[in-house]
Amino acid sequence: MKLINISKTFFPDSPKEVKALVNINLTFEEGEFTTLSGESGSGKTTLLNIIGGLERASSGSIFLDNLELTALSDEQMADFRLRHIGFVFQAYNLISVLTVRENIGFIMKLLRFDEVEIDSRIDELAVILQIEDILDKFPGQISGGQQQRVAVARAVASRPKLILADEPTANLDSKNSERLMHMLRTLNEKEHVTVIFASHDRYVLDQSRRIIVLEDGAVIEDH
Amino acid sequence: MYKIALDLALKSLMRRKTRTLMVIMMIALSLSGLLFLQGLYDGMVSHMINTTIRSDSGDISLYAKQYRFEKNIDYHIDDPEPIQAYLYQSEEINAYAVRLMQEGLVSTAHKSLGATLRGVTLEDERKFGDFYTFLSQGKFSFGPKNQDALIGFKLAEKLKVTLGSRLIFTAQDANGEINAIAFRISGIVKTGNLTIDEGSVFVSMETMERFLTLPNSATQIALRVKDESQIKSVQDTLQKKFKTLDVLRWDELYPLLIQMREMMNIFNWVSYAIVFAVAALGIFGVILMSILERMREFSIMMAIGTPYRNIRYQIISEAFAMALFGYVFGALLGWGFLLYTASVGIDLRYFEAGLESFGLNAILYADIRYYYFFQAFAAVFFATFLSVLWPLHVLKKIKPIEVIQGKML
Repeated sequence: MKLINISKTFFPDSPKEVKALVNINLTFEEGEFTTLSGESGSGKTTLLNIIGGLERASSGSIFLDNLELTALSDEQMADFRLRHIGFVFQAYNLISVLTVRENIGFIMKLLRFDEVEIDSRIDELAVILQIEDILDKFPGQISGGQQQRVAVARAVASRPKLILADEPTANLDSKNSERLMHMLRTLNEKEHVTVIFASHDRYVLDQSRRIIVLEDGAVIEDH
Repeated sequence: MYKIALDLALKSLMRRKTRTLMVIMMIALSLSGLLFLQGLYDGMVSHMINTTIRSDSGDISLYAKQYRFEKNIDYHIDDPEPIQAYLYQSEEINAYAVRLMQEGLVSTAHKSLGATLRGVTLEDERKFGDFYTFLSQGKFSFGPKNQDALIGFKLAEKLKVTLGSRLIFTAQDANGEINAIAFRISGIVKTGNLTIDEGSVFVSMETMERFLTLPNSATQIALRVKDESQIKSVQDTLQKKFKTLDVLRWDELYPLLIQMREMMNIFNWVSYAIVFAVAALGIFGVILMSILERMREFSIMMAIGTPYRNIRYQIISEAFAMALFGYVFGALLGWGFLLYTASVGIDLRYFEAGLESFGLNAILYADIRYYYFFQAFAAVFFATFLSVLWPLHVLKKIKPIEVIQGKML
């Protein structure tokens, strides 16, 4: 994935104008395990959202292979997200009326996977993420750590090319954070899925193979 | 795709039982109220028309020309028997009543009032309009010697007479002489037709013919048709057959009733519109809230790639499923209310005086018509349709990530 001159300005041409991102140029290779880091307000979440098509860049382009994502319509972008990107949000964000099993299988169902394949994938992920016992429970009946693992399972279930995780450990204790990162790393290694985090959690940074540091909307470090 | 949305809609309805039941109940109660109100208004007007037809006009009445304008017995129907014979053999006519009427002065020892003396045959009136059901006190009889009379209850109140009281009726006979005749009150009638209740005294046809020295005569022949939809054609046939007579339908005789029906229709529609607006606002509010409170959930679904059309289909499916159940329960409840009110009525005797001054019965009965249910169906689904438009519009405009991050809503 290539990001070319990505800029984002909120409330342009108004007194409240904020330049969240300024001329970002980055390349992500397949199978990366990368963290976008920086202080609050540095633009890491905005950049993650732009990569995932949840926000539009004010200028610049994003290419995945030869496809220009920034040229896609909202509907095409939604379809792209569905097929190629898995999201893990800070606040779990599961669908409350669906059971854990139904939540994990939701995207696969939208993509019309075979029922047998869905069930087998859910069972496989449940073992990896240690959520076998809660598959028939509703999100409101399980702990925050469990919910975040379910969110990860939902994100990776359909085998997307890219996982975007915004502060996935922010609401977890250290034990659950370690467990989650371990599982994401396992999935990254086992299924070659590219994972990009936006986080300033020390533990997440330690686990990452590449760290991109942002400050005032610009990349100041990439190692 | 739509199967998933429908599945999600059903799960959402089933797993949020309180909210679902609340919306269904809201729709059902509003709808039953609408149905009840509509039936009650129609019932009130129907009752007024029905009592007027039964007590006086029939579906059609025949008069000698000019009688209705001058109310003079010079303009009477002479020898009504051939007409009666025709009506008797006609297959379209159910019953008829021959009447001989004269206006005059009815007096007690203390008071005199203008009134109409109506010569009738009780048996004919019974067949014609179940007239005995209007009897509120006394007997449905003119006594063994035809010297008794029935009197409208308002007239009895004004004259301060009761059962057994004596009345003197003074009027001009066919020869232009002023005659007087005395009666004893055997019964008091309450028809709901102000013309009758406020100003009529009923005596036997024989007595009336003798009193007016007008044998074998009538001033009105009222008839009931078998099929109400045939009233106009029967009127045309009778008019062709009896060219020297005025043949008039009940609505031509009582144009005020038609005006009243039109007024009630307007009132009905205004009330219906108000109740509908309240109900629609209620449905709108509850469905809107149920969608807005889940904006975050819908935003998550959109963020992870669920197409907007899927969410739209889910919301519409949920709203219309609730509307359908609400309609079914509301229609059943409303039907129950209407059935009860149509058979038992609503007892408003506490407001009897006020209602009677408008010609309304103190016990109100509802009408039940099938079209109410079609109208209500359209109303509920229209309100539901309106109630999903705004949330869908809002949903289409939101940025899912801003809702998820708590920047919106």
